[in-house]
Amino acid sequence: MTLTGMGKHIRVLEQAGLVITEKIGRVRTCKLGQRKLEEEAAWIEAYRQLWAARYDELDNVLEELKQKEYANGNVSEQ
Amino acid sequence: METSASSEPAANGTQVVRKSDVEVEVTRTFDAPAHLVFEAWTTAELFKRWWVPKSFGLNLLSCEMDVQVGGQYRLVFPHEGSTMEFFGTYLEVVPNTRLVWTNDEGEAGVTITTVTFEETEGKTQVVMHDLYPTKEAVNFGSTNAMPETFSQLDELLDSLR
Repeated sequence: MTLTGMGKHIRVLEQAGLVITEKIGRVRTCKLGQRKLEEEAAWIEAYRQLWAARYDELDNVLEELKQKEYANGNVSEQ
Repeated sequence: METSASSEPAANGTQVVRKSDVEVEVTRTFDAPAHLVFEAWTTAELFKRWWVPKSFGLNLLSCEMDVQVGGQYRLVFPHEGSTMEFFGTYLEVVPNTRLVWTNDEGEAGVTITTVTFEETEGKTQVVMHDLYPTKEAVNFGSTNAMPETFSQLDELLDSLR
């Protein structure tokens, strides 16, 4: 993942209140919520983002498959 | 402004629920019939197009899938100058309905992934359920995760502790 991508992840976590960031000069430091529950929520959010990205891509693949099936006269054995 | 960025990812409806200490479930509905969704999960050429989203800037080196009971799969990713492999065996294959496979690469034991496909009026709900061997494997296992994404996230979380 790129640094930009990482920054995006951190912003989402920050907006969800799961991390606190502080910028001193050129360096931005992050602090995680101390409680286990918050760590778990952060983990689930990261996991959800991964799957959301995958499934957006799957939407594109499915759209192509639907077009192809339609073009082939919609011959389905279902 | 604050809320728009955090609500954006939820717009496509991907839901993640921690069902128990050792179970995580991901649910999403697709605007396509089940036989096409199943095809996209079981055809290597199609699978590798979406399993590794373009936004991750990472290419699968290889993707082999022998989708039958007892058949093997193997995904190879580039990772820190070397490679990382994800592999396992299909336990159940019910066309257009259900797929179950093992994830054998984890050091903490085998994770079982069950994917069900349920079609209603031309749309298909996909439920992906991961059953981890231990609670620890949920948080630190790399099963189903992009190695780049999750190893970096793990490092980040470790550095923040």
